[in-house]
Amino acid sequence: MNTSRLFLALSTALAMTLPAAAPVPVGADAGPIKIAVITDMSGVYSAIAGQGAVEATKMAVEDFGGSVLGRPVEVDTIDHRNNGPEAAAKAAEAFDGGAELALDLTNSATAIAVDAVAKQKHKLEIVTGGASSALTGANCSRYTYHYAYDTYALAYSTGHNIARQPDGKTWYGIVPNYVFGQSMLSDFTSAVTSEGGSFVHSDMYPFPGTTDFSSYLLAAKESKAQVLGIFNAGADTVNTMKQVKQFGLDKTMKIAVGLLFLSDVDALPDVFAGSHITTSWYWNQDKAARDWADRFTKRVGGGLRPTSIQAADYSATTQWLNAIKAVGSVDADKVQGYLDGRKFNDFYAHDAQWRARDHSVIHTMIVVDVLDKSVIKEPHAWYKIIETIPADKAFRPEAQSTCNKDW
Amino acid sequence: MPSISPDYLLIQIFNGLVNGGFYALLALGLSIIFGMLRIVNFAHGVMYMLGAFVAYYGAQLVHLPFFAALIVAPIVVGAFGLGIEVLLLRRLYSLDPLYNLLLTFALVLIIEDVMRLAAGALGSPYQTPDILSGATNLGFTVYPTYRLFVIVVCLIVCFAVYLAIERSRLGARIRAATEKPELTRAFGIDTRRLVSGTFAFGAALAALAGVLAAPNTNVSPTMGDSIIINTFAIVVIGGLGSIRGSIVAGFALGIIAAVGAVLYPPISNTLIFIVMVLVILFRPAGLFGTAERTA
Amino acid sequence: MIAGRRGAIVGAALLVLGLVLPVIPGVYIVFAIDLVCFALVAVAFDVLLGFTGLLSFGHALFWGGAGYVATIAIAHGVTSFPLEVLAGVAYAFVLSAAVGAISVRRSGIFFAMITLAIAEIQYFLAYQMIDLTGGDNGLTVATRGTFFGLSLEDDHVYYYLVLAITAIATVVAVRIVTSPYGAVLAAMRENENRAKSIGYDTDRFKLAAFVVSGTLAGLAGALYAIGNRLSGLDGVDWHTSGAIVMMTILGGIGTIYGPMIGAAIFQALDFFVSKTPIGDKTNIVMGLVFAIIILIARRGVVGELMHRLRPSVVLPFEDEEPILL
Repeated sequence: MNTSRLFLALSTALAMTLPAAAPVPVGADAGPIKIAVITDMSGVYSAIAGQGAVEATKMAVEDFGGSVLGRPVEVDTIDHRNNGPEAAAKAAEAFDGGAELALDLTNSATAIAVDAVAKQKHKLEIVTGGASSALTGANCSRYTYHYAYDTYALAYSTGHNIARQPDGKTWYGIVPNYVFGQSMLSDFTSAVTSEGGSFVHSDMYPFPGTTDFSSYLLAAKESKAQVLGIFNAGADTVNTMKQVKQFGLDKTMKIAVGLLFLSDVDALPDVFAGSHITTSWYWNQDKAARDWADRFTKRVGGGLRPTSIQAADYSATTQWLNAIKAVGSVDADKVQGYLDGRKFNDFYAHDAQWRARDHSVIHTMIVVDVLDKSVIKEPHAWYKIIETIPADKAFRPEAQSTCNKDW
Repeated sequence: MPSISPDYLLIQIFNGLVNGGFYALLALGLSIIFGMLRIVNFAHGVMYMLGAFVAYYGAQLVHLPFFAALIVAPIVVGAFGLGIEVLLLRRLYSLDPLYNLLLTFALVLIIEDVMRLAAGALGSPYQTPDILSGATNLGFTVYPTYRLFVIVVCLIVCFAVYLAIERSRLGARIRAATEKPELTRAFGIDTRRLVSGTFAFGAALAALAGVLAAPNTNVSPTMGDSIIINTFAIVVIGGLGSIRGSIVAGFALGIIAAVGAVLYPPISNTLIFIVMVLVILFRPAGLFGTAERTA
Repeated sequence: MIAGRRGAIVGAALLVLGLVLPVIPGVYIVFAIDLVCFALVAVAFDVLLGFTGLLSFGHALFWGGAGYVATIAIAHGVTSFPLEVLAGVAYAFVLSAAVGAISVRRSGIFFAMITLAIAEIQYFLAYQMIDLTGGDNGLTVATRGTFFGLSLEDDHVYYYLVLAITAIATVVAVRIVTSPYGAVLAAMRENENRAKSIGYDTDRFKLAAFVVSGTLAGLAGALYAIGNRLSGLDGVDWHTSGAIVMMTILGGIGTIYGPMIGAAIFQALDFFVSKTPIGDKTNIVMGLVFAIIILIARRGVVGELMHRLRPSVVLPFEDEEPILL
């Protein structure tokens, strides 16, 4: 058919001959310096980070003075909607539009997606929300720092703390069969065995799709293990914990939860009371933390206390701005060179260091008990600190890093 | 893998009955709706979720006790379902039922997001009622009382619905309207009211399952998401439109999944789909369906 | 509308739009790449839904599956763009032939359920085959590869390549549905029993349509994954299958060009609403738009437009004449 062939020819010809007009990336050395907070604004992680993360970042910028190197600093909010390709596209757009830093990335898949984009655009990414230790392992990059916590740190701290005690030696694991669960299991296993404990058995349950954990919980009870390790996250943890209480397992076993945030406990205090977890920061851990938390709560309103991720966003922003000022440039390579190996200390990160080997930002972690609402002294004061793990222990030792460092 | 003692197997079967009970209740509602309206109600999971939330908000706002919620939630959600049917679904009956399927899909998006804005994405607390907490000694094990309650309620409700539809006059009319709508209308029976009532009833059943689930699972806006696809599978396996099929398939697959979960976990979440595909291929009417329903 | 001169004009207009899309203010190049890929998958879907009436609720099988295969190929050292795409397309082709063979015998709701179930099985497999797919972390790759020596890392270069491929694929789709084969499909959709009684093996025709649809969807998915240099679980999630259905209906079933517009509207909504102050209510907006279209503008944007201009055309599902002039 003539018209069809014309159509075909037209399309091919034009596609091949039209010159590609590439727009020049904005903000190369003028205009505002932008921070893109890429977070989950509307989904399951919106309470952990979300709007609070944006506010924390803005707070950091304001406290810093609002500008650096004579240029104003702007904070942009980007909702990644828990979708990897969408996060990557929006990050690329932000970087091309003047963003020098991608921050937060709560959701490991988006963190890893943006990791690749940052590398490509030679801009920095600081992950505070995502948990995957792949960020400092298989996906490590010159341009990505993993700031707040990772699966290793969670597992090591809780694992060591509990397995060190005589009534914490035998473990039973409830493990979702995906990357997060598997990492948690393997890291918990090393921590526990190094203290002379062992895993009696672990149930790798099908993920996603499991809402009933009764089979596994009963098996755990039968096994007579001392500790129940719940290595899942989100709704799964809630379901598991609800069923734990139903079967009365928390009366006979210690409960170690892999990942939990303050906002989770706020939503469901009865469910999580009595569990042991590790966190990077707690709003009431010391005076400096509390002072900051008070300012945050006043700013955000609603009486809510900041989660560790939100505090991490503030801390990371401040440290990055400091670095830019010291280096005299926003160039990612220069800032990275300045940061690598640098030690620092602030209200969030104690004894911290931007580790050069794999870009894991190490700092102390704390193991806490989640208190029952009948004993808390004020609203949101859910945690009781039972151990502080030093920075050089809490994170994966450099010698064990799988990062193929190419910088 | 822990060795499977007979006692342990028995416990697993009980666990399977609990899950199966939920599946059966949900599949029942979905099947009834399909049988009568010929639409696959994607919004069924949302009705389940709304049932749980009515229980939650009821408890928060007016101290609605659990047992009252078992009655109130189905009524409230049933009314809501009625509204949807009358205002929205009814407009599309003259068209291919796939349009209504898509409309219910759109409703899921809207309702889930509205609930997320209202209640947050995380989850809302709901406790097991005191009188049902704790465990009962069954001889071979000590089993949570609440779960036994769930099994009993599911069995009773399923049986009651089965009797009502297969044995009562109303049930006969419903079956007639399902199989031969024009003829039934010719007899002077108001099929439109039957249709609306059926949809509302299906929604109410889902809501009942939601209330039962609330103490056991995380009450969150997306709690229906994971369960809806499995429910489709069960309804297909049992036979679209077959009451008996939904009940039997529900309980059976609940038990199979529970036993499978400890024998060989990796396959557990795909098992139900594999069975569904096999059923569609070799016995599309489902285990209990009648051949004429294979459209 | 699709065939003949009018069709060529619409097609050319769309092509011109595609050519200038990247320079429209507010349109970011990566978003444009994604948009064109979605436009193609909507076309692919319409070949099936609009012309055979079969509603697949599992097109993520091909879109996401091919995306994974393409990125897995890159991760294993393939740097030739044609080969990467071919890997994804081959996967989609074989899979659609296999799935089609077992599913086209059923229709209506059963067909939808089979496709959904098989898509779910692929989803769970993708989650669990962590070494291959990266599991929940997804699979990122460092390069898009080269096209006969031309590097594709530049977003604009890649965009125009994808546009060209999409244009060609669309022409192919149009040729197929307006061919005598397409006429048989139309006849089958109108009255399958009559078509059978004339002697057509209706299952074979449906299978062929399914394979064309699945393969084109795989092409789109491979282009998308390569474009983003990553594949993840979102591609194989049933919500994505649902999104593809929505895009097609939004644009207009059975119009081929309509779904492309539908994809553009859908993506624009998704992308841009999330940047506005009501951004956290994006799902509500999408759901409302979709519900409204289904209730009062079932023919979709393009379909409704055509209906105004030419009231004689009607929708595939209304059991009357198909939309072919």
